[in-house]
Amino acid sequence: MATGDDSLRTMLRVMLQSGLKTKSEPRAYTSEEGLRIAARLRSLSATAFAEKLTVAGFTLSPYAPPHSEDDLSQSCETCMYYVTHRRFCELPELNVPVEKEWSCRLWRI
Amino acid sequence: MANLLWLQGGACSGNTMSFLNAEEPSACDLVTDFGINVLWHPSLGVELGDNLQRLLNDCVSGKTPLDIFVFEGSVVNAPNGTGEWNRFAGKPMKQWVKALSGVATFVVAIGDCATWGGIPATAPNPSESQGLQFLKRNHGGFLGKEFRSKAGLPVINIPGCPAHPDWITQIVVAVATGRGGEIGLDELQRPKTFFQSFTQTGCTRNMHFAYKVSATEFGQRKGCLYYDLGCRGPMTHSPCNRILWNRQSSKTRSGMPCLGCTEPEFPFFDLAPGTVFKTQTVMGIPKDLPTGVDKKGYIALTGAAKNAAPAWAEQDMFIV
Ligand code: SF4
Repeated sequence: MATGDDSLRTMLRVMLQSGLKTKSEPRAYTSEEGLRIAARLRSLSATAFAEKLTVAGFTLSPYAPPHSEDDLSQSCETCMYYVTHRRFCELPELNVPVEKEWSCRLWRI
Repeated sequence: MANLLWLQGGACSGNTMSFLNAEEPSACDLVTDFGINVLWHPSLGVELGDNLQRLLNDCVSGKTPLDIFVFEGSVVNAPNGTGEWNRFAGKPMKQWVKALSGVATFVVAIGDCATWGGIPATAPNPSESQGLQFLKRNHGGFLGKEFRSKAGLPVINIPGCPAHPDWITQIVVAVATGRGGEIGLDELQRPKTFFQSFTQTGCTRNMHFAYKVSATEFGQRKGCLYYDLGCRGPMTHSPCNRILWNRQSSKTRSGMPCLGCTEPEFPFFDLAPGTVFKTQTVMGIPKDLPTGVDKKGYIALTGAAKNAAPAWAEQDMFIV
């Protein structure tokens, strides 16, 4: 039986697959940038999913930073806000079901 | 009988408050059970004016043997090195500190301000504050790197903002009962018995740290506070989760990130906006990694730990 998470996750995937233009760069590499993006997300309604995906810069596949020595691909799977078993992003400003190979610019390990 | 004198420089009295709340042993136990004679203390001393000056001068002259000199607060040197901003009993406090440290058998610095300079010494340090033998991590401080008390020991540093009551009284008792020489000190002159382990040692969130499950809000019972909320428990030396506060709890147990107050750099990042209670990152990786862990190891460990995390680690297990 599909849960609420499953149907919402499917809806988000469809939005992204249908070409929703998201802002996956610049990444939130400094705390100031992270706080700025989080503040913009907080100003959105909890159900404004398309806007959330856009502002947070969601992608359906991991983000590989150019010029990184660490060979670090950024995906929800390794992100601090990702809850593995529930396949969920617990960043309070997002709070959405995700897939482990997705990514967004608020990623942090 | 051991004579103890406690003075306060650039301080908020937080360590005095802490000391007066000690339980094992208590401040009263020091007097009744351990033969400590408190010559004077800012909140307990009865002498004032000339009488206080006489008491202090008697210590300096050797008429009254000074066994333990406890200093709380920073040594204030402003303006222009004179120390006039912190006058006490007729002269700059720094002059009393120098004279009394020179005659004391043991010198004990209590709290961050006395040990490293603490908050008063945060840039731009308008009070020109120093710790007794350190200024932040730089060895030297007000008394200089080579200072040794009459017992042959450097200043015994008991940092914290404030220091835990029992760290204070247990060290004072050790010194007063002739075991001062047995106190092993680390490179920052902190008693190893308290400052060898990490604040994280004994934290109830350790499983969340191990499985990389993050707390995202204060007071959440689930999740580790290191990853997002700026907790410094994995790189701070203190026994806050072994010797609990009020015998009940600790910051991290109650959902409040450790601020790293027993380390010389406290307050970290000079309290720049956005640095408190927020893990500072560079390209998404914490700037300050757990002690001894390198970036590559941290990244590898995170992937493995998240993959291995059991479902229970993601749930709130502390049911009230
Ligand atoms: S888990 Fe991390 S990378 Fe994935 S959506 Fe949430 S913040 Fe972005």
